Amino acid sequence: MSSTALSRPLPRVSRLFPGQAVAMTAVIAVVAVFVLYPVYFLLQASLDVGAAGVRPPTAYGLGNFAAMADYWEIMLNTLGVTFAATALALVFGFLTAWTLTRTNVPFRGTLEQIMVVPYYVTPLLGALAWSLLGAPESGFVNQLWRRAGGESALIDMTSAWGIAWVMALFEGSVAFVMIGAVMKSMDPSLEEASQVIGAGRWRTMLRVTLPLVAPGVLGAAIFVFAEMLGSFSAALVLGTPARFYVITTAIYQFVSQYPPRISLAAAMGVSLFAVMFLMLYLYRRVTANRSFVTISGKAFRPRAMDVGWLRWVLFGVCLSYVLLSVVLPVATLVYASVQKLAVAFPTADNFTLENYRTALSLNAVRSAMSNSLLLGLLTATIGVVLTGLLSWIIQRSRLPGRGVLEYIVMFPQAVPRLVFAFGMMWAWLVFPIPIYGTFWVLLIAYLTVFLPLGVRTISSVLMQLDKSLDECGQVSGASWGYRLRTITVPLLRPGVLAAWLLIFVASVRELGASILLMGPDSKVLTPAIVEAFFSSSSELTAAMALIQTVVVGAAMVLFAAVTRRASRHGGT
Amino acid sequence: MMSLQHTDVPEIEVEDLVIRYGQVAAVGPVSFAVKQGEQLTLLGPSGCGKTTTLRSIAGLERPSGGAIRIRGETVYDAARGVNVAAERRGLSMVFQSYAIWPHMTVFENVAYGLRVRRAGAAEIREKVGNALDLVKMGAYADRNASQLSGGQQQRVALARACAFSPGVLLFDEPLSNLDAKLRAEMRIELRELQHRLGVTSVYVTHDLEEALAMSDNIIVMRGGHVEQEGSPGEIYNYPRTAFVADFVGSANLISGRLRPDLDRGGLVALETAGGIVVHGTPHGRVPGPDPTMSVRTVHLQLSAAAPAAAINVWPVVVSRSIFLGDLTQVHVDWGGRDLVIRQTAADTLKDGAAVYLSVDPGHCVLLESGAAGESESVARPLQQSALAALPTE
Repeated sequence: MSSTALSRPLPRVSRLFPGQAVAMTAVIAVVAVFVLYPVYFLLQASLDVGAAGVRPPTAYGLGNFAAMADYWEIMLNTLGVTFAATALALVFGFLTAWTLTRTNVPFRGTLEQIMVVPYYVTPLLGALAWSLLGAPESGFVNQLWRRAGGESALIDMTSAWGIAWVMALFEGSVAFVMIGAVMKSMDPSLEEASQVIGAGRWRTMLRVTLPLVAPGVLGAAIFVFAEMLGSFSAALVLGTPARFYVITTAIYQFVSQYPPRISLAAAMGVSLFAVMFLMLYLYRRVTANRSFVTISGKAFRPRAMDVGWLRWVLFGVCLSYVLLSVVLPVATLVYASVQKLAVAFPTADNFTLENYRTALSLNAVRSAMSNSLLLGLLTATIGVVLTGLLSWIIQRSRLPGRGVLEYIVMFPQAVPRLVFAFGMMWAWLVFPIPIYGTFWVLLIAYLTVFLPLGVRTISSVLMQLDKSLDECGQVSGASWGYRLRTITVPLLRPGVLAAWLLIFVASVRELGASILLMGPDSKVLTPAIVEAFFSSSSELTAAMALIQTVVVGAAMVLFAAVTRRASRHGGT
Repeated sequence: MMSLQHTDVPEIEVEDLVIRYGQVAAVGPVSFAVKQGEQLTLLGPSGCGKTTTLRSIAGLERPSGGAIRIRGETVYDAARGVNVAAERRGLSMVFQSYAIWPHMTVFENVAYGLRVRRAGAAEIREKVGNALDLVKMGAYADRNASQLSGGQQQRVALARACAFSPGVLLFDEPLSNLDAKLRAEMRIELRELQHRLGVTSVYVTHDLEEALAMSDNIIVMRGGHVEQEGSPGEIYNYPRTAFVADFVGSANLISGRLRPDLDRGGLVALETAGGIVVHGTPHGRVPGPDPTMSVRTVHLQLSAAAPAAAINVWPVVVSRSIFLGDLTQVHVDWGGRDLVIRQTAADTLKDGAAVYLSVDPGHCVLLESGAAGESESVARPLQQSALAALPTE
C-alpha cells in the first residue's frame, strides 16, 4: 500500500481561511474591551480630583480615598453585617453539611437535594419576604407578637442583624455545598486508622476529622465573606428605607442621587474590589495549597456516625433551615400577593387577585418582563459561544498569554456587579457609539459579568474531556472548525447546555448591574420589582417577584425537558 | 546503499530534533530515519521523551529546534520557520487512551478520516467495512462506541487509524491500558497487521517485550537522548551502555581493569577487583578508563560438574535460589560479589551448594567507553528536570 492517501489531497479551503486564528483573535479582543475598558474608567474616576463633571479629569490624586474616612459609619456597618452574616452562614453550612454527610440523620438523601434550593431563592426574594415578616411596625411576626400581648417589635429586619440574617440564609447553602464537598471527599480510612489505634469516636472527630476539614471550612468562610461584602439586594431592600447603608448600597446612593458623587463612589468601588480581590486570592491560596490529601480518587461514601436520639434533633435543624430559607419566604410572598393590604390576620374581604392582574397588565411591567426574557435568551446564547471559545483557548490552545486571558475573564467575579456596572456606565457614556441607556448596553454588561460563570461551567466539562479525542481528529486530517463541529461541541453539549441555563437564569434575575445601566426605555424585571417595592405596594411587589420566580422555574423545567429529549435523540 | 529504489528516500526523517519546555531540554538533539514499510519503536522509561518525539512527528507538539521530513517533504524546520499543522501531515495515530469518540457509532468513528477527505458514500462503506474486518470488529459497526470493552475500543482505534490508508501510522503506547493477556494477543495481531498493510510506523512503548516482538528497529531513549539504535537482536544481545543492558532485560554488570596480556582470539579479558578474569567480546568497541561488561542473567549457566571449556568457568557457591514460575532466579557468590542467574531448570538448587558457573564469551559484551558514567551524571538529572517541568505545561 503506499501513498493512496496522498492521491486525495486534504481540502485546502481551511488554509485560505484560518478560522481558528480569526475566531481566537476576535474573542480575545472582545473580552479585553468588555472587561478592561470599564475597569480603566472606574480607576480613572476614583483618582479624579479635578473639577466636578469634567471629563477627562483635570487633576488626579488620592483625595477620594481619603474622603471615604468621613463615611466610617458605612464601613463599620458593612463589616458588622458581613461578619455576622458569614458567621451565621457558616454555622448553617457546617451543621447541615456535617449532619447530612456524616450522621445517620433520617431522610438524608432527600434533605441533601433540598439543601441547594435556598440558593435558587435569591437574596432579593428573601429580603422582600422577610421585610413583610419582620418590618418593625407592619411585619407579620411583630403583628402577631403584639396581638399576643408583646411590646413594640419582636424582630427588626431593617437592622444590621436583619440584613445579616437574610444574607446568611441565602449563603448558607453555598457554605453547605462547599463544606459538604470537603467532608464527602474525605477518605474514611483516615478516621478508621485513628479508631483502630484506640481513639474514641469524639476524640477522633476532634483530632482527625476537624483538622482535615479545617482548610475546606476556611476556604468556604473566605469565599462567603467575599460574596457578602459585594452583595447588594438584601441591604438595598431592607436597609435603605431605614437609612442603614452598607458599602454597596452607599455606592448606589452616591451614583444615583442628585448631584451624583461619582468620584467618591468610584473610590469606594475600587476599595471594595481591592478587598474582594484579596479575599479571593486568599481563597485560592487556601484551597490550592491544601497540604492534606483528602481526595484519594477511590469511590467511597463516608461512614455515617450513629448519633442516637440526636439524629431527630439534627433532622429538625436541617428542616428548620429549609423552612426559614425557602418555605416561609415563598409562603409569605404568596400570602401577601393575594391580599389587598398585607396583614397577618386573613379575612375574606381582604382577598384579591388584583395584584396579579395589575402586574401582568401594567405596560411597564410587561415591557420589563419581555426585555428581561429577550436579554436572557441573547445573553445565554451569545454567552455560551463566547465562553465556550474562551474555555477552549484557556484550556486547550497553546496561545502565549492564555494565563493572562484567564485572569481577565475571571476578573468580573472579584468585582461586585454593581461596581462593575458603574465602571461600564462611566465608560459607555463617553463611547462614540450612543449605546448608553439602551438595551444593548445591558446585553454587553450581562455578557461581561457572566463571563466567569460560563467559563467556569464549560471549562469544568472541557477539563474532563480527554485531550486526545481532539488530537485524534487532528491527525485524521480534520481542520479546527471541522473538529469543533464534529467532536468538541457534541462532547461539550452537557456543559454548554448547563452554562446556557445558568446564564439565562442569572440574566433574568440580574439586579446590581441592571439597576445602574437600564434606561427609561430599557427597563428590566428585577430592578422593576425593587422600584415597585419602594414606590408602590408590597402586595404588588410580592406578585411580581412570584411571577418572576414562576417564569424562571418554567424556563428551567422547559429547558430540562428539551435537553433530555435532545440527549435521548442525539445519540450519534 | 544498493537496495531497491523506493527504500532510498526515508519515509520519516528526524534531524537534530530538540524540544524544550522553557529552559529545560526535554528531548534532543535526536536524529533518526524510518524507511518505507519499516516499524520503528521508541523504547524507554517514562519521561525519556519518546512520546514527545512521537507527538512532534504528528504535529501535536511544537519542537524548539531541528527538522522533520515526511516522504521528503519538510513538515517542520526550525531554521526555515516551517511547521505544518497536524491535520495536513497526512499521518495517522493510535492514542494511548484510544480516543474513541463516545458520541459516535463504531462506523462513524472509523469513517471520520474518510469523511474529512470527502470520500463518497460507497467508498466510505467499503473502506470502513474493510478496516473493521481487518480488526475483526465487522459485527460491531452500528454499536455505540461507548458500549465497547477496552480491547474492542483498541481495535476500533486501530481500524480508524488505518481506514483512510495513511502512509505513516504512529502508535503512542496503544497497548498499555490492556490487561497482560490481551496485550500479548494484540501484540501479535498488530505485528501481523503491520506486515499485511506494509505501512511505515513509529511505535512508542516502555514495554520491552512489545518492542522486541514488534519492531524492525528499536531506538532506546533516555533523558531525551538516543541511548542505542539497532535491531531487536542487536539491542538485546549487544547493549551499548549500562542503561540499555539494564533496561532491556536483566543483566549483570561487571567492572574491572583490562588485561590485554590475556586477550585471545578476538576476545578481551577483564579482571575484576576480586581477581576473577572474564573473557568477552569487544563488539568493535573501544575500551575506556572504566571498562564494564554486561552479561544477561539468562546467558549464565550453572552445572554440578565442571564444564570442559577453558575460559569463563568458575566454581561458585549458591547463596539464594528463588522460584519465579517460568524461571528460577539464583544468586551466587562470585568472588565476593553477588551475581544473578536466571534459568529454566526446575530443580531448585540448595542454598550453600557448590556448583560451576560458566558463560559463553560471546555473551559477555564490552560496553561503550564512558557510556555508564555519562548516562549517570548527565542524562538522569536532565530527565528529572524535564519531568518536573511538565506539570506546568
